Amino acid sequence: MQPTQASRLSRRDTLAGMCALGVATWLQGDKRTSPVAPRTLLIVQLAGGNDGLSMVVPHGDDGYHSVRPNLRHSAETVLALDDYRGLHPALKRLREVYASGSLALVEGVGYPNPIRSHFQSFDVWHAGDPRGRSVPEGWVGRFADAAFPADTNPNLIVHVGGTPPYSLHSASHPPAAFVTPAGYRWAGDKDEQEAYANAGMEGAISKDREGKEKAKSQPTEGSSLDFLRKVLSDGQASSGAIRRAAARYQTPVAYPDEAFATTMRHVAALVNGGLGTRVFSAELGGFDTHTDQKNRHDQLMRRLDGALGALLEDLQRTEAGKQVVVMVFSEFGRRVKENGSRGTDHGVAAPMFVMGAPVKGGLYGKHPSLTDLDDGDLSHTTDFRSVYGSLLESWFGVPHERVLGKRFELIDLV
Amino acid sequence: MKQLQLTLAVLLTLPWASVALAQAKVAAGTPAPAGQSQAAVVWDAAAAEHLLNRAGFGARPAQIARAVELGHAAVVESLLAPSLTDPVDPFAVVSPPRPSKEDMQAMGEEERREAMNQVRRHAREQLAGFAGWWIDQMIEGHDPLRERMTLFWHGYFTSSFQDVKNTQALIAQNELLRKHALGNFGDLVRGIIRDPAMLEYLDNNQNKKASPNENFARELMELFTLGEGNYSEADIKEAARALTGWVRRNQGPDVFAESEFRPGQHDKGVKTVLGVTGKLGADELAEILLDQPACPRWVAGKLLVYLEGREPSAERLEEYARSLRENNYEIAPFLRKLFLDPSFFAQGVRASRIASPIDYLVGTCRRLSIRPPGQLVWLAAGQIGQRLFDPPNVKGWEGGKAWITTSTLLARGNLSGMLLGVVRWEDVMADDALVEEDPSMDSMEGGASMEGMANEMGPGAARRTQKGAAGNAAPKLGEMGRFARYLGEGFRPNINLGARCKRAKAHSDEQIIDFMAAELLAVDLMPESRDVLREFLAQERQQAPGRQQEQEPSAKPGAKGQVSEESLRKLAHLILSLPEAQLH
Repeated sequence: MQPTQASRLSRRDTLAGMCALGVATWLQGDKRTSPVAPRTLLIVQLAGGNDGLSMVVPHGDDGYHSVRPNLRHSAETVLALDDYRGLHPALKRLREVYASGSLALVEGVGYPNPIRSHFQSFDVWHAGDPRGRSVPEGWVGRFADAAFPADTNPNLIVHVGGTPPYSLHSASHPPAAFVTPAGYRWAGDKDEQEAYANAGMEGAISKDREGKEKAKSQPTEGSSLDFLRKVLSDGQASSGAIRRAAARYQTPVAYPDEAFATTMRHVAALVNGGLGTRVFSAELGGFDTHTDQKNRHDQLMRRLDGALGALLEDLQRTEAGKQVVVMVFSEFGRRVKENGSRGTDHGVAAPMFVMGAPVKGGLYGKHPSLTDLDDGDLSHTTDFRSVYGSLLESWFGVPHERVLGKRFELIDLV
Repeated sequence: MKQLQLTLAVLLTLPWASVALAQAKVAAGTPAPAGQSQAAVVWDAAAAEHLLNRAGFGARPAQIARAVELGHAAVVESLLAPSLTDPVDPFAVVSPPRPSKEDMQAMGEEERREAMNQVRRHAREQLAGFAGWWIDQMIEGHDPLRERMTLFWHGYFTSSFQDVKNTQALIAQNELLRKHALGNFGDLVRGIIRDPAMLEYLDNNQNKKASPNENFARELMELFTLGEGNYSEADIKEAARALTGWVRRNQGPDVFAESEFRPGQHDKGVKTVLGVTGKLGADELAEILLDQPACPRWVAGKLLVYLEGREPSAERLEEYARSLRENNYEIAPFLRKLFLDPSFFAQGVRASRIASPIDYLVGTCRRLSIRPPGQLVWLAAGQIGQRLFDPPNVKGWEGGKAWITTSTLLARGNLSGMLLGVVRWEDVMADDALVEEDPSMDSMEGGASMEGMANEMGPGAARRTQKGAAGNAAPKLGEMGRFARYLGEGFRPNINLGARCKRAKAHSDEQIIDFMAAELLAVDLMPESRDVLREFLAQERQQAPGRQQEQEPSAKPGAKGQVSEESLRKLAHLILSLPEAQLH
């Protein structure tokens, strides 16, 4: 059906009414606040290839100390989990989370025929498929299609950062994305705002009425213009609710004063702001440590620990916060043997963290052997899709093969 | 006035036209290459605008009309011909006033820190100055295709100031890319393997015989020449050995960025890369890579995706890869072939590419004929995801739909509003809750609220703080402060849209909207957008205070109200905020 002038006008009038009340943006997010906080996933990607052997240190393995003469952490400094492994010395707060039983450590995670290119390996993780970007949607996008087919909340999937990762790629549930909430708006006077909102309505209408019955002037489904119109209407609908939720947020928890921790604070604000977001995504970069790894990696671990430690503490305070599972991954680990520049080159398998109140903490998977190497690299012992699949099944109740295309061995993480 | 003439004269100067016309006749006489059986290009305004958008940074209707008159082949030749006018030299790149080692040792802790801060500040300012100069060349330079291709190579052979931290090296890299922008791809590869900034960026300074570092070798194959899947891990290890010994020279304060070969650090042994065995060094490695059939395919694919805005078909990719190879990697013949190819003008290519932040902002300046400071545009583009000299990672900017997020799309409208003088920085940053917390935010110098309109830098946003978490916040605020100051000190565009409408005899709302959309958009307005704009203009007329106002009246007599210059600028702001304005 062609969007008639009448339907356009009625939407417009509603909006004009809201503008008159001084509310230039929509309250869609607020309306969606449900009494029971929704189950939520936060995905944190460590970009650049996190050195797994420096994050979860096999301090009890003599082989480790001999292949990492400059980069190794001694048994005395690591935060031992047992005789064999320990967390990086800076992960003090995460060590506490582990002790409290809310951190699942999955070791040796990877996938068959690993790729050592940052970009293509990320593609595999994001697509949840070795074909990478040949798969038209990311795994989170496919999950949203399967679990929330009719949900049009523009804040259903939120990336706090610049360009969203391919995992969030979706035609029907594209993510809202912003670096910081303040300034997430379109500025113009009242009349301009109204006109701009009407321009955005066209995108919303085209989304409501997709299919054969589109008006002639509607751009082709999947065209750049169609995409832009959807993003415009989502942005208009998303920005006000997000800005307000973040500005209103008060927490006694002290977050470190740096960018990634601020991002985590925004996540906590939105979780508690009742926006109905089901998946958050964020990134900590800088892990491509080919040279002088120690200082850089130590600092990254401090930042990771400070930010995630504060977030997990903050999430513990509220019912909504207790419904958040945090999953941390990187596109690959690094070579077992350090290189000559006190760094490490691109490798393969690495550990993953799954954290939060609902998580059944402990050790999962199997630490890869440091001696039985595959051309200088660790062999993975757990497929990353087992972790995805476990969360899909036990946290969201979605049959994992519907999202991942086939069945994987599941882990009892949540 | 002089500036305006300069801008208008960018492409279509008279002596140039006659030369180009002569060449066009020659080109017209040559038979079409085999395999090109498609219908010829209909060389109309839309086709000319398409070419000028992709080969340059957009044009105004008057320029487009002249391009139509000149003819297709003539315009292509003029774009490819070396400019008669050299760009003005940016400025003397002077070394930071770095105190000597002895002086430093004599300093106290605080004094030393201040001295180092000054050095860093100086480096940042020089980089900003150069970036501003480059943007100026894009907005009003005489060689739009060279600027376009330099920008392409800047994303292809990219290095980041965050890691290289040396302005001179980054400027030297830009000069390398600029020199060969339309030249030979082989020369670019040969240049980049000894480019001081790249050697630093990809850790080749640490790639030594006794301790090879694979970073440069991997990206050289994966991103610069072959693409993943066309080499083995063993090839990377061997190639890294071949690259050992090339480092950025540790220069004294008055020396330009240079690279040097340190024989003692070079692995002189026998290596095997992609089946070729010998005592390979960097130059031999470059030739081996250039000899691979995967290489022209990789480069052709990147060029086609960038210039056409979509993935080429397998046949088309093969055709262009072959052409690149047969022309020994010369880029100009490749571009000539593409710019004359009817497929380049096909419906799915035209006006369907999502403009990058630079395309959007520089294109807006060109289409509006406004001249903001280049540095302002550089900072603005950085806020929506494309800060020159600061790519998100070694792969450069992802491009396409990745430019557009819910927040960057809104921010594009804000930035064009600032360029038009109808949006103030405070309008964007105003947040009731934050104002209550921090009434000093108007000072624009620091404060939590300054983070608000932060850098949409993708992965780089997180990465940038990797080295010195707290230390990095300061320069970022400084940059934002500079951005706000540019605006605060009243950048007002020197335009008179009312006079333009009048000159174009655009009086009625319909005519005004048509005229402005033609000036500002590469695509037709969607009917729904037109409705919205018509409604907006009607409302503006009604609200106009009456005839005694000072603004240039552009409404026809008898209209209820008048359309003020302010209203026209708001109209332009709305048009530039539409989805249509993001395509070119």
